[in-house]
Amino acid sequence: MGFHDSWKNAEDAAPCRLVHTRRQGTAKTARQIVMEKLSAPYQFCCKETLVTSRREFLQKAGLGFGSLAASFLMSRDGAATQPSTQTPTQPETASPFAAGMTHVPATATNVIFLFMHGGPSHIDTFDPKPLLTELDGQPVPPSFGAEDFQFTRVAKVPLMASRQKFQPRGESGIEISDLFPQTAQHADKLAVIRSCYHDGFTHVTGQNWLNTGWPRVGRPSVGSWTVYGLGTENENLPAFVVLLDGPIAAGAPVYGPGFLPGMYQGTVLRSDGPPILNVNPPTQLQGEDQRQIMKMLARYNRLHLEQRQEDAELAARIASYELAFRMQASVPELVDLSRETTATEHLYGLDQETSREFGTQCLMARRMVERGVRFVQVYSGGRKGGGGAGWDGHVELVKNHRTMAAQVDQPIAGLLSDLEQRGLLDSTLVIWGGDFGRTPFADGLKESSQGRDHNPYGFTVWMAGGGIRGGKVIGATDEIGFRATEDKIHVHDLHATILGLLGIDHERLTYFTQGREFRLTDIGGHDHLTQRLLAS
Amino acid sequence: MRTICFLVPFVTVMAGPVVGAAIAPADDSTAAKQAQPGWWAVQPPRQVAVPEVEDAAWQAHPIDAFIARRQTQQGLQPAPPADRQTLLRRVSFDLHGLPPSPTQIERFLNDASPDAYEKLIQRLLDSPRYGERWSRYWLDVVRYADTGGFETDIYFPNAWRYRDYVIKSFNDDKPFDRFVTEQIAADQVWPDDIELRGTFDIPPEKKEHLDARVGTTLFTIGPVYHEAALNGHQLRYEWLSDVVNTLGEAFLGLTISCARCHDHKFDPITQRDYHRLMAIFANSCIRDVPVVHKMSEFGYYSAYPLRLRVEQLKSSIQRLDAAVRDRAIDEIKAGFPAEVVAAFDTPRSERTAQQARLAKQIEEAVSEAGLNENAGGGKTELPYQEQERQQRRSLLQQVGEAVLKANFDLPRATVLGRAEVHYPVHIAERGDWRQPGEQVAPGFPSVFNGAGLAALDVSGQTSQPPLARKLLAEWLTSPAHPLTARVIVNRVWQGHFGRGIVATPNNFGLQGEPPSHPELLDWLATTLVEKGWSIKEMHHLIMTSRTYRMSSAFEPTNAQRDPANRFLWRMNRRRLQAETLRDAVLVVAGSLNLEMGGQPVVPPLTKEEQLGMWNLDQWPETLDERQHTRRSVYLYVKRSFLYPMFTTFDFPDSSASCGRRNVSTVAPQALMLLNSEFMQQQAQVFGERLQKDYGDSPESWIEGSWLLGLGRAPTEQEAALAMALFSGSDDLSTTGQSDTLLPLKKLALIVLNMNEFIYVD
Repeated sequence: MGFHDSWKNAEDAAPCRLVHTRRQGTAKTARQIVMEKLSAPYQFCCKETLVTSRREFLQKAGLGFGSLAASFLMSRDGAATQPSTQTPTQPETASPFAAGMTHVPATATNVIFLFMHGGPSHIDTFDPKPLLTELDGQPVPPSFGAEDFQFTRVAKVPLMASRQKFQPRGESGIEISDLFPQTAQHADKLAVIRSCYHDGFTHVTGQNWLNTGWPRVGRPSVGSWTVYGLGTENENLPAFVVLLDGPIAAGAPVYGPGFLPGMYQGTVLRSDGPPILNVNPPTQLQGEDQRQIMKMLARYNRLHLEQRQEDAELAARIASYELAFRMQASVPELVDLSRETTATEHLYGLDQETSREFGTQCLMARRMVERGVRFVQVYSGGRKGGGGAGWDGHVELVKNHRTMAAQVDQPIAGLLSDLEQRGLLDSTLVIWGGDFGRTPFADGLKESSQGRDHNPYGFTVWMAGGGIRGGKVIGATDEIGFRATEDKIHVHDLHATILGLLGIDHERLTYFTQGREFRLTDIGGHDHLTQRLLAS
Repeated sequence: MRTICFLVPFVTVMAGPVVGAAIAPADDSTAAKQAQPGWWAVQPPRQVAVPEVEDAAWQAHPIDAFIARRQTQQGLQPAPPADRQTLLRRVSFDLHGLPPSPTQIERFLNDASPDAYEKLIQRLLDSPRYGERWSRYWLDVVRYADTGGFETDIYFPNAWRYRDYVIKSFNDDKPFDRFVTEQIAADQVWPDDIELRGTFDIPPEKKEHLDARVGTTLFTIGPVYHEAALNGHQLRYEWLSDVVNTLGEAFLGLTISCARCHDHKFDPITQRDYHRLMAIFANSCIRDVPVVHKMSEFGYYSAYPLRLRVEQLKSSIQRLDAAVRDRAIDEIKAGFPAEVVAAFDTPRSERTAQQARLAKQIEEAVSEAGLNENAGGGKTELPYQEQERQQRRSLLQQVGEAVLKANFDLPRATVLGRAEVHYPVHIAERGDWRQPGEQVAPGFPSVFNGAGLAALDVSGQTSQPPLARKLLAEWLTSPAHPLTARVIVNRVWQGHFGRGIVATPNNFGLQGEPPSHPELLDWLATTLVEKGWSIKEMHHLIMTSRTYRMSSAFEPTNAQRDPANRFLWRMNRRRLQAETLRDAVLVVAGSLNLEMGGQPVVPPLTKEEQLGMWNLDQWPETLDERQHTRRSVYLYVKRSFLYPMFTTFDFPDSSASCGRRNVSTVAPQALMLLNSEFMQQQAQVFGERLQKDYGDSPESWIEGSWLLGLGRAPTEQEAALAMALFSGSDDLSTTGQSDTLLPLKKLALIVLNMNEFIYVD
């Protein structure tokens, strides 16, 4: 389809064309997909354009959401103009995706990242600590070391046993607490990493760490890097979508593109009102009215372009309006759950008040993965209307976590079951985690807190699907769950693992800015778990 | 950055690990690096003769001669001059960030005098709209924001004074060397050492010193790392890092932030250099100083008891609430056995294990009832009795009245001053402040030594600690400095052409883009100094060149030889930036409010936009609606939540200096410009304006919309196309109601979404 007849196509586009190539067995390599996407607009507007402006077109005609695996193409073209950066004997290494577009064979193609906003307690969920139960109410033994926390002086607070009950689950016998009885039934699918750590002990730095691999703002999120590396499979939807149940402490930067071009940013899909900002035309200008506006605008823009010739940016802007128009049709289709069965609704906990909201988000995440959205992030515990603190159990932790877990347990279990029965789990990596874990001792801010403070020195993240062989536990915290001690896994290692499962070598996915190459994993990631998670 | 792709390799694959191998923080590598003679940017600008070129038309203006020579070398033919209409639009957006008004268009197009164009430029430079436009480029470079970002996102009550200072500096054509000096060291160069003289007027020199000092606010409005507030050492180290990073990018055009942790990998900037720059600022601190006459300050403190009154009334309300809460808790306690109540009443630290268990019963009931203060249980209304409710209402009213009388703000500026404590700076191992290494003294990067610049020497200073910032300012503004003038003329050039002579304006280092016209860059830099560092002279110089006045028309042979237009065979076509786009929409619709300066305007957000904000209390929407349509430079810049319309159009995140913005083209922009409440409102206002001021026929409305929006009359074909909007059947909106304004609103929306509106030829 060239630009000349694209209007006709745009009008015929609703409902959207689903892209199921991978699952229908006609697996295309990312290279093929990219080349197909390229050929159409490229033929029209830059027939004889040189490499540089083709590259320019690719970047600008990103058709909205980084649909072009731009990094691959950019680097190819970059190599063409910068022969000095490669060795002559290995011309293909100029592309980070030289071997069939991924550095290493990918086992996962999509990601669903379930983010427990506020920081879930590892010692009340996935990391049982019998010694902590014994030492309940006693001071922290000096052997565990001192560390002052935001609100807590370790020497002045008593240890606090978990009030939850743990038991071995599944064949693997992974111990999971009674906060997650449903998720626990999937224990044999999980790889529970109990030795995660970073050094950010406030929500914003913790969220920045987990999402962008850096405590400050300004770095691209793991979703942005993923899309930058792999592109998308559905041009009518954003490639990286974020589902919020309310504002999050670190705000938009955690799903932002950082220094990557804007097309790689996460798009927020809202549960209330228009699903995507401005995706609904105003009531006064819907239907025919809007169609007329779009048609006339396209005519004027084409007249304008004809007089100017060969301007990739102007052409890209015309294309972006076409995409916007198609999105207006494909987004409502995406969020329309009316065709889901009662059984599915039950599976995700939509029939229970407590779990309906997060269940809806999880169901939406599955629908997006089905439609080729590359990276979906689902938040639990965002702040709504100025109240609520998500998983941030500084006070009354038991009450807080019981409430929060009840909202997410059934939906998470449902998501895992549903992905499995639809054959999507093998290619979809599901990640569960939060800002950080929580302290084994009481929060020191308020005397009657009965809660736990933030703890970035040891916490749990689990992964499932995406080729992972489940039923394993990796690493450990010390006997009270204070610090990661065995097999310590830094956030950089987690990110390297995620990229690795997607077939990306974390050291080779880089972006040049501010005078140097940047990568998601900064100078770390060497202890990544990709192979260990895949091994049986 | 407009298009990263042709500036720098998008993904460079290197032989070894790209980032990672630690470099020993030693000076041994420096000598080797310094020995490299090749780094042009540390050589002082040369006095360059204007080249001679064949085409006489390209010889008359020095800039043209430089450009023409490169064009010839590259086998490029320059584009013909742009027509007057195009030129007027270009010049107007360039200097004002606004489209020309119909009056301006008429005036210029009908001015047959030979110097009509020069007069136009002068008119535009003389208008305060100029400073509002060009300040924004500088604000990008110094990562301006009204808040500190991160979890607390602290508010900077006086950041706006710096924004106004920058606007005024541009409007006054403050010499750039003075502008630099003020921002780095105004308090040391022009100290607040002038007495009041017995009248209510502040002596002009005193005021001048104070105004200059607002320049140093630059170093007080960086990102504030929340965690660091717990530790003075860390807070200072983070602050100094921001100071040095910003200093490096904004004034030196060098990205040196990486040298915090290790020697720069590509440029001869060492970790020691980095910390020596830190040491220049280490004995400074952030300080609030009143900006009013001492008499007003006395007035403020004389009225201070009115604030105490407010505090007393607030505490009366809190006491009332506490009493009600206690009563409610007593009622809960009454339902429990005496033993449990006794346990609950025992202070927590004195309870036995048994008591702790018992007390839990009441504690849980209390929190269930929403009465646990610690749990932030303020959500539920307390069970007031009617008389208490009335008493509370009355107290609230008294608070309101007391607040009206009280004076809450003593106008202050937040600036740099001298620190009370003399802090040593140590080279931090791997940039980690917890691992202090060798102590360093203030100093300039050693790579500049011998480039006609003196090293930092404080031995002549009597002041203790030495006035190191003053020396830094003198060093930076020395005509021999290889970077200061080059960096700023390059920024000005980029503002006019969309791309600098050095396409990486914040990186003149070895990994930056080499200059496309090195001689021209040097000629401009030396000319700037000769012309007394006048930025307006630079605008005038650049804009009167043929180069600037070329058409943006495409030409295949040229395009083949120089697809990125590095050698300027034509003018670059440019998309409006976020603020310019918003301002242009407002002015075309007729709703732009030109009031200048003052506290940031907090624009309204739609409900959907608000959903992304963590703490709505930090977005106090400006209640006076007329303020909502002020120029974009005055809008609130909240680091943790940037104005959605701006971020959609590539507004920088203000976490660090931004020398050049991205220009992305994405579908959410289309959705924003078609469907957002802001655009719908402005289309409506624009439609009403057409109906009111532009005749009463569709033909005249169409013509008016083209004139206002695009600065020209529609062609016959364009006008005929637009007539379809008015062809009867379309008078019915989808709601089925007749709406005579609807076709006009649609017309307005179409014009405001056109590529021709968004792109300047």
